[in-house]
Amino acid sequence: MANTETALKECLTSIEGATGVALVDYTSGMALGTMGGSKTFDLNVAAAGNTDVIRAKMRTMEHLGLKGEIEDILITLSNQYHLIRLLKGRGGNGLFLYLVLDQARANLAMARHQLKRIEEELEV
Amino acid sequence: MTVVETPPPLPVRDRTALRDRTAGALSPMLIRLAAERATGVLVREYGSLHLAEGRVVHAESPLAPGLDVLLTAHGTLDAAAWPWTDDIPAATHRLLAAGLLPRGALELCGLNALYDAAYFALSPSSTPGRFRYGDPPTPAPLHSVPVAAVERETLRRRELLDRLWPDPATDGAPLIRADPLAPPPLTPRQRAVLDRVDGVRTAPEIARELGRPAFHTLVDVRRLTAAGLLAPASTVAAPPVLPPVTDPDIALLKRLRDALEAL
Repeated sequence: MANTETALKECLTSIEGATGVALVDYTSGMALGTMGGSKTFDLNVAAAGNTDVIRAKMRTMEHLGLKGEIEDILITLSNQYHLIRLLKGRGGNGLFLYLVLDQARANLAMARHQLKRIEEELEV
Repeated sequence: MTVVETPPPLPVRDRTALRDRTAGALSPMLIRLAAERATGVLVREYGSLHLAEGRVVHAESPLAPGLDVLLTAHGTLDAAAWPWTDDIPAATHRLLAAGLLPRGALELCGLNALYDAAYFALSPSSTPGRFRYGDPPTPAPLHSVPVAAVERETLRRRELLDRLWPDPATDGAPLIRADPLAPPPLTPRQRAVLDRVDGVRTAPEIARELGRPAFHTLVDVRRLTAAGLLAPASTVAAPPVLPPVTDPDIALLKRLRDALEAL
């Protein structure tokens, strides 16, 4: 079992091309922990904004009557990938991991796989 | 001959100063205490903040459920395993030492509870805050947060609520159900909140019953209000029904008006 900081650090160091990561509480939009990012890329702002993305998707699924659960959401920019992974752990109800990847260096399939593993280890 | 001179430059607002001005908007005293790296407890009307060397280590509010409620409500921690004591930091220490909960889970839950209570502790109050200097507490088992982060998050939360539904009446008043024409689909979380609305309970009471952070329930309640499913029960009694007009002056004026209109 990793603590939050270790898990975030692991995201940044072990996932190729990762430039920033945040663990976000989905209802309040608060980032419970962030790592990486830059002066021009405020992870706290990104965290708050992306809760709306998840909400919109969840609502759409509810409207459509889909029973499945969101595992992750991928957003592709021209030079970045943003990967959102919802945490499913016992107490992890309402948290998600938000990962920013540099498109030139990242391996998307690998990153998804690793993020899944880190999520399982986080076990919150 | 007119000489056209370049007009003097217009004063430009200094953006950095602008950002600084939000600091201390919630509690100037808190900023001062952070600057002097004070240790002790700041007691305000709706809650208290515990500081250690100018950083927030713990927050409490009667409106926000404490860590004990949050942890035991959903079986994350067996209620019997919680070391029943009012000293939450000490209790956290014991839980960690006993290995009852993983560190990460406790950290996240603790942070959530801290920001939740701080939101209420820093809400506008009618009485001035007091600060009690004290001994440095036992080193906080969970990490402390800087005062600036607490202020920024509290302001962000206020704005979030305001954006969802600008009327704060639902935050503290007993809630009643409303009956919209076309109710939108609800999430299971919202349904749980709505099920507990009975005209007596307030949003913080519902949060405590559900074992959820109070702010999160305020978010749900404001969304439900915006959707027309909820309304605050008006605490003010309806204005008394006006007695039938018997005043001769008014009766005369009315007759006069009717007569004039008939002309």
